[in-house]
Order: sequence, then structure tokens, then C-alpha cells
Amino acid sequence: MNMPMKSMTGDGPAETADKGAGRVEPVEIDIRNVSLSFGRTEVLKGIDLKIEPGEFFAFLGPSGSGKSTLLRAIAGFGPTPKGQILLGGQDVVGTAPWKRNVGMVFQSYALWPHMTVARNVAFGLDERRVPKAETAKRVSAALEMVGMSQYAERYPSQLSGGQQQRVALARTIVVEPRVLLLDEPLSNLDANLRVQMRQDLLKLQRRLGITTIFVTHDQEEANTICDRIAVMADGVVQQVGRPDEVYDTPANAFVAKFLGTANVLEGVVEQRTDGNAFVLPSGIAIPCAGDARAGAGKLVLRPQSISFAQNGDGSLTGTVQSAEFLGGMIRYAVEVSGQTLLVDEVHNRGSGRRQAGEAVSLDVRHQEGVLIHD
Amino acid sequence: MPDIKRKPYRTLGLGVAAAALLAASPLYAADDKLVIVTSFPSDLTDVFKTAFMKENPSIAVEVVNKSTSSGVKYLIETAQNNQSDIFWASAPDAFEVLKGEELLGSYSKEVDGIPADLNGYPINDPDGQYLGFALSGYGFMWNTRYMDAYELPAPKEWDDLEKPVYHGHVGISSPSRSGTTHLTIETILQGEGWEEGWKTLKAISGNAKTITERSFGVPDGVNSGSFGVGIVIDFFGFSSKASGFPVEFHYPSVTALVPANIGVVANAPNEGPAQKFIDFLLSEKGQALLFDPKIMRLPVNKNAYAGAPEGLPNPFDGSIETKVNFDSDVSEQRYNVINSLFDVMITYRLDDLRNATAAVQAADTALAEAGSGNAEAAKLIEEAKALINALPVSAEEAADPDFNAIFTVKRKEADTKVEGRQAEIEQQWDAMVVENYRKATELAEKAKSLL
Amino acid sequence: MPTAALRRPALNVSVGPYLAAGIVVLFLGAFLVVPVLKVIQVAFQDPSSGAFTLVNFQDFFASTLFRQSFYNSVYVAGMSVVIASAIALPLAYFTTRFNFSGSVIIQTLAFVPLIMPPFIGAVAMQLLFGANGSVNLLLREYFGITIPFMKGLNGVIFVQSLHYFPFILINLSASLRNIDRSMEEAAQMLGSSGVRMFRRIVFPLAMPGYIAGASLVFVKVFDDLGTPLLLNVNTMLAPQAYLRISSVGISDPMGYVISCILIVFSIFAMWVSFLGMRGKDYSTTQKGGGGLSRRDLTRREAVLCYIVVLLILALVLAPHLGLLLLSFGTVWSFGVLPDGFTLAHYETALTSAWGFIQNTLLYAGLAGLIDIIIGTAIAYLVLRTNIIGRKWLDYMAVSALAVPGVVLGIGYLRVYYGVEMPLTGQPLATWWGIIVIALAVRRLPYALRSCTAALQQISPALEEAAENLGASKLRTVRRVVVPLMVSGLVAGFVTSFATAAVELSATIMLVSSEKDAPLAYGLYLFMQSAAGRGPGAALGIMAVVIVGLATYLSHRLVENARRNQAAASAPGGGH
Repeated sequence: MNMPMKSMTGDGPAETADKGAGRVEPVEIDIRNVSLSFGRTEVLKGIDLKIEPGEFFAFLGPSGSGKSTLLRAIAGFGPTPKGQILLGGQDVVGTAPWKRNVGMVFQSYALWPHMTVARNVAFGLDERRVPKAETAKRVSAALEMVGMSQYAERYPSQLSGGQQQRVALARTIVVEPRVLLLDEPLSNLDANLRVQMRQDLLKLQRRLGITTIFVTHDQEEANTICDRIAVMADGVVQQVGRPDEVYDTPANAFVAKFLGTANVLEGVVEQRTDGNAFVLPSGIAIPCAGDARAGAGKLVLRPQSISFAQNGDGSLTGTVQSAEFLGGMIRYAVEVSGQTLLVDEVHNRGSGRRQAGEAVSLDVRHQEGVLIHD
Repeated sequence: MPDIKRKPYRTLGLGVAAAALLAASPLYAADDKLVIVTSFPSDLTDVFKTAFMKENPSIAVEVVNKSTSSGVKYLIETAQNNQSDIFWASAPDAFEVLKGEELLGSYSKEVDGIPADLNGYPINDPDGQYLGFALSGYGFMWNTRYMDAYELPAPKEWDDLEKPVYHGHVGISSPSRSGTTHLTIETILQGEGWEEGWKTLKAISGNAKTITERSFGVPDGVNSGSFGVGIVIDFFGFSSKASGFPVEFHYPSVTALVPANIGVVANAPNEGPAQKFIDFLLSEKGQALLFDPKIMRLPVNKNAYAGAPEGLPNPFDGSIETKVNFDSDVSEQRYNVINSLFDVMITYRLDDLRNATAAVQAADTALAEAGSGNAEAAKLIEEAKALINALPVSAEEAADPDFNAIFTVKRKEADTKVEGRQAEIEQQWDAMVVENYRKATELAEKAKSLL
Repeated sequence: MPTAALRRPALNVSVGPYLAAGIVVLFLGAFLVVPVLKVIQVAFQDPSSGAFTLVNFQDFFASTLFRQSFYNSVYVAGMSVVIASAIALPLAYFTTRFNFSGSVIIQTLAFVPLIMPPFIGAVAMQLLFGANGSVNLLLREYFGITIPFMKGLNGVIFVQSLHYFPFILINLSASLRNIDRSMEEAAQMLGSSGVRMFRRIVFPLAMPGYIAGASLVFVKVFDDLGTPLLLNVNTMLAPQAYLRISSVGISDPMGYVISCILIVFSIFAMWVSFLGMRGKDYSTTQKGGGGLSRRDLTRREAVLCYIVVLLILALVLAPHLGLLLLSFGTVWSFGVLPDGFTLAHYETALTSAWGFIQNTLLYAGLAGLIDIIIGTAIAYLVLRTNIIGRKWLDYMAVSALAVPGVVLGIGYLRVYYGVEMPLTGQPLATWWGIIVIALAVRRLPYALRSCTAALQQISPALEEAAENLGASKLRTVRRVVVPLMVSGLVAGFVTSFATAAVELSATIMLVSSEKDAPLAYGLYLFMQSAAGRGPGAALGIMAVVIVGLATYLSHRLVENARRNQAAASAPGGGH
């Protein structure tokens, strides 16, 4: 998988690339109350989303959440949805895929095995009746942009996965689509390549300035490169926002758990004289923000918001059940009055590890907790 | 159809197929069996099989149906380990071939009511290797609906079929494919002479819609209305009519009654039952079975005609006029040359022949309409006709045994000279014929343009 | 347990495949290669001296008639491929790409032409489309014109394309089903659609299947004897060979030379198609996509599709319709329809047909069984072992396609007539088992194709898993491979069975008594007499119904099995 990773936006080839797939006028994507069913199964339930022009946007969710279906609906594949999908103000629902000028990169890349790389890339230009000379110029510019110039005459079966991915990308952007849709583009690549590729994708997107939607089930991918993400589950958008925003203030337990690891504790908010407290079923109370609404709720605490108290004088006491070595830190499962809490501790060389059964005392930075009512 | 004897394992079904493979040894109810190789349809064979087995319950008759030609081929290929007892078919020529291969045994009994010859043609093989059991004459059958629809007159004589009005309406088989057609062709050639006979044949074939692959193809085509008139052996006409088809049959004056035959195969494994079957077939009782509406053949036994159905002629009382005395020696001598010649000149080049014929007919008609004024056109038409009728082989050459030997692999005598190969000769003929037809078409068209 | 179980594979790996290959080679050698060589050696003999010579081939190429026959055969085969493609393309595309009700029925009905017994298909077509057939009688009455559907080579092309197009349909459909939907979606996304997309993307991707089907049609038509003979067209190679081989008294080596040329050219055609397909098997390179894309049709499109499909089906089933009319008709002569209708023909046919039907089911069933056993063995040897010359096993089996039935029949008589059966002393060539073997050899290429395709779809990892758990090679094949191949095996069996059930060309040479005769032979007998046409047609209809029913049932079986497997292997998809 070690291919010459020419920077896609490097200073050298970038100049020539501008002649081909250059910057396009970014458009807004406005999804209004879109619903869709496969037979009796409702796959999308009234989705409302607005994606800003030029934004790098992610649909993040587990499989079956409807993210790919929504992406395909934007491209015009699958059953016709109810509602509106506006690209640059124009409703495309009911328009045939081939009339939308929407670029999509498929999870399988979908390179046509009977055509060379160059023929694959030229395909969309042929369909648009672009003159031969210009086609040739734009094809080579697009291939150069993705660092695949030297493979122009190869067949897809002679390329590695990463190379196929680049060709698929070149094939899509060469036609200068209004928006770029990426359907799990990195899922078929191995780990190292994936990290590099996502950076390349980001740079490419920034250069083209094209409104881009990236579908993934991998939160790390979404967090690292996307401007904003929409977390989806069960055909519903759970939350929209910047990655850090969503991470820090999850709208519900699902979002909290899907983005990173979280302790989601069930309990009741009680308003006490000395400030509000979140009371767990075991009776343990954790202080919480003054404006918290009284009544049943959930408290989201990230493992890094809990730490081991040095002298056993923490607010909670419990017993270590197990430990997971994560490299930079060790994640402990600690039993506190019948409830398991995950606690992260930074790992340094020689710092050792706590044993199962060890009695520990915990500090909770309760101001980092988030209360949710759902 | 009678009940077919079944081996007991059949009832066990597919599941025990492997066991069935081992259990192939047959268990017959009957003590003896009789294997008959025949070209006759089951409509004919079943009648005799049933009646014979009724009289001889101890003999199980097995009928193997092959076309005459593949039947002969089959007997030749299997001679080394012969399992067949009787060969039963129309064409005497096929029996001549088998006789030549020494594959026939003999049967020599006199049967009351069967004369030695009919109009000079011997009913049985003089060497007693095969016997006539029914008489067949040749003529034409036509589909009355077809004739009405196309407003065609019913033909009476061979010459009638040469008329332009029949162009594209005639069906005929090829002598190399059908033993009966071979006899028809030979009858015409013997009746009209070599040159004239071929002229007639080419003129009729020039009107042909098709040259059928099997002799049955002709009555079948007439029955279904693919073409209007077919040249057939009589029983095809009679049995088709008896089956309800709107067809008629007619004997032209140049025809011959030729026996359909049966013979015992050499080294027959069941010689006794074979003899018995022939006895039965030739007896009055057996002969009367030929009047079955699906069969409708003329018995060779005079005594059988007492029970003949209405409309079936009796050849022994002169109901059928036969001008030709069929000479089977001549027929046998040039057998293969005739087959090959017919195919090269007619079967394989039917389109060319048809085009040439049509062009000549058109020119003729134009000439007749224009009065008899145009001598040049008339001359061109005559030239065209001469080209069509030109033959690559003379009657003498065709009868030359040396020349005939080219067409057979087994030489009768070791000293027979063989010069040239069949394919080589045929290519020479073909080149000549194609060129002649082309030129004839050209001349006829030129003649027409003059009128 | 481990020691005993693990010792066995080592032995099997080395000996087993060679043993299996040996048996296959023995079978094919004895029943394909030797008989064929025995027949075509005549082509190399001087007709008078019997010495080796090539002069016969020289004669062949010197003859204008033979050259013309050769061109005609190539032309007819080529045109048949074109027309058959025109029929198969829309059917394959509609049934695989759209949510089209009745796709299974279309696929089954479209298989029916293959089981049209010879001799009667052309008879029925003459009655319907001939110069004085129903269609032309109507045209003449109302419009004063006729269309020469059945004239000369036209007729052969017409009948052949209707008869053999299922080969293209079956292979093309399979190919189309293997194209991942993203392939088409990518093209649509880039602005391509409709016929243009079909031409540039879908068809090229389905090419391997199409070529496989088309080459089969080409070879079958090129070699086919029955249709031209029935239509009385003889300036083609196969009829020329037959005429010369089977003429009374004439023993012209040209028939054998032509057989030789037929075989060589057929093999050449298959080889060319093989070269064309090499490296183009795209199905395995497309992975990780979204499966098959089936689109819903708009009302207007659906109506249009139905019209096209119904028109095609009407044409395709015309021979069967004609046959049906013939079987119920009293007298059908120069009329649009028969004069009257009756059940009498079925009565006649039934009294004599039972033996034929039993024989047919037995013979075709056994032949199908032999075919899938040998087919599986060859497929396994070719795909899963590395024994030397394994590819040649495949070539040898497939070359049976190129051998005309008559040649095989004559070859069997020549080689096995002298060989006596144990116990009975009957010649081997007259034993009914030889008919089964002939059918099996003739149909082996079809079954082999299905077996190979089925095995290709099974990941070797599944076998490795079984071996890892201690199963020997043989047990792995029996317990893992064969059960997974079942739907492919059934498909192979059905193709072999259905087409063997109506085979005549080899059978007619080999049937030595009526009680051993299969149905096609019974049909042939009936069709030899004026009174037999109706009962013959009735028998034909029975054959079509029986074989059609068997085909439909096994289709259902395969569909169910496929659905179960699909359900098991896809526990919750991403889309």
C-alpha cells in the first residue's frame, strides 16, 4: 500500500491543477422534512438539515441509521423521498440522477473495470460533450491533482485500494459537480493510509471550495476533518454542530456514547439549599449546575472528568474491576455502590497499574458533566 | 399402438438407476423375438405387428424405425455383430445395395395368388433375397384448398407440372434422400429417355418451391398447404386423404408399379420367426391388412383385392395404366450417378435453376404475347433452354461401371478402374451447371428485353 | 481424533485428484474422443486405397458448393446470434434491472424454447409463418402481401434464433445480476443514462456473459442439423455432412471431411470467444458495493416494457402455440386455424407415449446425474487442485459442444458395436445405456458451466475451515462444497436434463429397438405419417409440459435456496 504520496495540494502540481478541476461556486444544501421508506420500514423520518456553501459536513452514525440513504437521496439514487432537497436553492427531488450534477464517490469506488483510468476519468466529460482536447487536459489535471498521472493507462484491477480511491475522486471532481458526496470513502483502506487520505481529502476540499458531505460511522474520521457533523440514528438527526461542540454538549445519551466514551448515569436532580445535586439511585449525590431542572435526568461524565483521589479523600469510593491499556492512558472500570464508572488515568512509563479489587477513592469534576433530560 | 414390453426395472424409477444399469438383462414373456428394421411409419408396422403377435404369441416383435438410408447404413455398420432379422422398406434399390454388400439372406417360397411379375417387372428379387409385399405407383397429389386459392388446375401428366402456372407450387424430394423418389426419377428417365427425362425433371424442379429432405416431406407439405402439388408414391396420397386432408392423388400415364419389399438379413439371429413373419405378410390375411385406412397400399396378392376399399385401384385388372416397364438392372447400374447428378444439378442449385426457369418462362410468355414475330428472341430463348437442359454426363457414361465406381467405396471387382474422386467430379459438374443457369437467365432476360 | 483425521488428507491430496482425473479422462476418452476420431479418420483416407491423404480437404476447398455452404453456415450462425441477442437483451435487462412482476415467469418461459423437441418446432413454425402459414394467409387476405419469414436461410435464422436465444438470456442475465449497482450509479451521477449508459457501462460489464451465450448460440447453430433439414435448406455445412454420410450407397468421404471442418471451426469459434473473455471476468473484481439495483418503473414505462416483453414472448412461444393448435386440431391444411378441434390425438399419443416418457425421464435423468457428477469433478479439479493438464479436462469436456450428434452416434456404432455386453452378449452399442452416455456426453458442457460457476462462488476459506477442523479432502467436498453448490448443481442438472429430454440427432443413430426409444424418437416416428401429425404434436406438448414443469420446479428450488443463503449471509445491511 506504499504508494508515492504526492501531496494533492502541493505547491508543484497545484498550479497546473487549477486549469482543470478548479474552484467552483459553492452552493448550499437545504434538506427540508425529508422522509423515506423501504416498504414498511421508515428509513428517514423528517430530516431537516442546512449545509452551508463550501462546508465540509459529515453524516455520522451507526449502520442502519439512514446516513447513506440520505446521501443517496441527495444524489438521486434509491426511492424518491418525501420533502425537499434544495441544492443552491433549487429542489432536486424527482430530478434524475444524471441531471443533478452531483458528484459522488462510492464506498466500492465503482471504477469500471473495462476502462482504463484515463477513460474512467474522462467518462463524465464525454457525457457532457466536452471537446476532446479539453477533455484530455482536464483528465490529466484531475489525475495530477490526486497524484495518479502515471497510472492513466492502467486498468482498475491493476491498482491498489488507495489508488482506486484517488481515481474515483478524480473521476468525480473532473466534472466540477455542484456538491461532492463521499460515501464511507475510507472504509476499504488500511489504518495508516486512512489517516493520510483523510488529510488529503480535506486539503482537496479546501482547495476546490466545494460543499462536501462525508458519510462515515467512524467518529474520529468525522471529528478530524469535518466542519460540522450531523449525528444520525434511526432515521433521525440526533444533533448537529461542530465536532467539539457535539462532543462537549451531547444532546442525548446516544450522542454522548456514540461520540467517544461516556459514563451516562441515571438519577434525579434535586434542588437543595447548598446548590443542586444529581442523586444516583444508590443515594450518592453529585453536585451539578445551579440552573439544572429538577426531576429525572441523565448525567454524562467523560472518563477523563473523573480522577483517582491521591489520599483517599475523594467524593466517591469504589473498587477497581478491570483495566484496559490504551497506550497514553489506562481506562479503569470502577464499581461505585453497584454502578460501574469508567475512569481514565494518564499512563507514564513505569507508573504501573491498579489491580482489580483495589479500593479506590474518586474525584469528580462535576462542572464538566452534562445533564440531559430525554 | 400395442403395449410395449417393459423391463421390470423401469417401475423402480430413477432412484435406483445405478442398480438398473446392472439389471439390463431383459425378461421376456415370449420365447422368441424378432427384430425388424424398417423405414415404414408405425401406422403401418403396428398393424402388422399386432396381428402377427396375435397369431404367434410366443414371438416378441421389436420394430426399429430408421429412414431407408440410415437403415441401410445401420445394417452395414452393425453387420459385424448383426442383431437384426428383417429389413422392410419401399425402395428395391436399398435392397440392391444390401444385396451388393451381401447382407441379405434368402426366402424362397411360392405363395398362392402372387404372380411372378407385373407387366414384366418381377415382383420378387430373381435371386430370392428380397420379396415384394405391396405395389406402389408414382404420381402427384395436390391440396384442393391450395389449388382453389391460387386458381391452379389439377395436373394430369408430368408435362403439366412444367407449365409456368405451377411455378413455385411444386414439391419434390431428392433421389439421394428418398428411395421412393429415386424410383420416380428412374421411372421418368426410363419412360422418357435420358435427355428428355432430365429435361422434364429440370422443368418440373424449376417450378419447385422446395426439394424436401425426406420423402414424407412432400405429402406433409401438400397436407399442410406449404405447396400445392407434390410428386409422391401413391399410398402417401391415399393415406393422407384417408386421414381427412383435403388432398387428391392421380397417376399420370407414365408411371410404374414397383413393389415395396421385405427381406431377411444375412446371419439373422432369429431366422425362424423372420420366415414366419414374411409368410404372414404375404398371406391373404396379411395382405388384406394393407387396406387399413392409415396404410392404403396395393397388395401383391391378387386374392386380397376381394376386400379392397372403394377407390383403391386394382393393378391386376388394368385400373392403372403403366407405360413404363421398369428395368431394375439399368436402375441399379446408374444408381449413384443419378443421385449425385440430381443433387448437383437440382437440389443444391435450386435457386439458380428456379431463377433460370422463371426467366425463360417470362420470356416465353412475352414471346407468345408479342406474336411469333421476333426470331432473335425466339433463338435466345431456345439457347437458354438448351443451357438449362445441358447434361454433364451422357446416358452411356452414367451406366459405365467404371464411372459409377467413383461413387462407391467398396469396389465390386478388384480391377475396377477408379479415376477421379466424387468431390472432384461433382465440383466439375457444379461449375458447369451454375455457369449454364447463369447464362440461361441472362439470355432469357435479354430475349425478354427484345420483346 | 486428530492423529487419525490429520493423516488422511496428505494421502488424498496426492492420489485423490489424479484418481478422479483418471476416471474423467477414461470416460471422455472412451465416449467422446475415440468415437469421434474413429469417424473423422475417414476424412484422411484415400477413398479408393484407404491410405492417408489430405486430398479430401483439398477437394473440399476446391468445391464452390462447399465453400458456399461454409459461408452460408457462418452467415446463418452469425445472423442468428444477432437476432437472438435482439430478443434476449430486452428480456434480460428488464427482468434483472427493474422491479418487474413476473420476472421468474419470464425467465422460465424463456427457457421453454430450448425444450422444443426437434422436427416439430419447424413444422409448427411452417404452419404459422410459412409461405402459406396462418400469418401469411391473413396478410394475403387483408393486405395482399406476404412476408417470406421462412424462405431459405431466413427461415433457418428465424427458427434458430427463437430456439437458441435462451442461451444468451441465461448467461446475460447472470452477468447482469453480478454487476454492482454502484457501477451504474457512478455513470448516472456523471450524467449518463438510458441507452447510452447501457452501451458504455452495462453492456461492456455484462460482456463475458454475453460472449459466453453468444458463442454457444453460434456454435450450436453452426453445427445444427435438424432445423435446416426440416426447412429443406441443404446448402449449409451440417446438412451437407449429413446428406453425404447417410445417403444410400454413396460412401463419399466429403461427409466426414465436413464433420471434421465443423468440429475444427466450432472449436476455433469457442477459442476465439475464450480469448475475448480472458481477463474480463469482472464479477470478482467488484466487491463491497450495494448489491443489485432494481428500479421501479413509472406507469408509462411499465406499459411499454410489458408490450415489448409480451411481443417477444408471443414470438418466442409461437412454435409452442402452433404445436398446441396442431395437437388439438383435426385437420390443419392451408388454413389460418385447424378445421376443428379434438382430444383424440392426446388419446392416441397417451396409449403409446407412456413407454417413451418413462424412457425419456430415465435417460435424461441419468444423463443429467452423470453430467453433474463429472461436471463437479472437473470443476473441482480445475479450480481447486493444481494437477498437471487440468485445463485440458475442461477443454475436452467442452469440445463435446462442437461434435455434431450424428458424428457421435456413428462413432459409437463403429467403436462399440463389436463390443459385447457381459451376461447378455448383446452389442454394447445397442444397449440403452449407450443412449444415456451419448446424452450425457452431449450435454456435459452445459452442466459443467453451471458447476464451475457454482464452485467459483464458494470461497476456498470455507473449505480451509473444514480441513482445519480435521475433515479430509473428500469429506470436505461432500459436507461443505457440494451442499453449497447445490443450487448450481440443480441448475446444471436441469439444463442437461431438459435439453437431453428432447435430443434426437445422436439418439436416432443409437436406438436399436422401440421399447428402448425415448420421446424425441417417438415424435420422429409419429411425424413420418399423415395420420401421425396430431398425435405427434400431442406427444410434443406433453414433452414440453413435463420438462417445463421439471424446470420450473427446480427454478423455484434454486430461488429458495438462494434466498435462504442470502438471508443467512446478510444479517443486517448498512443501507
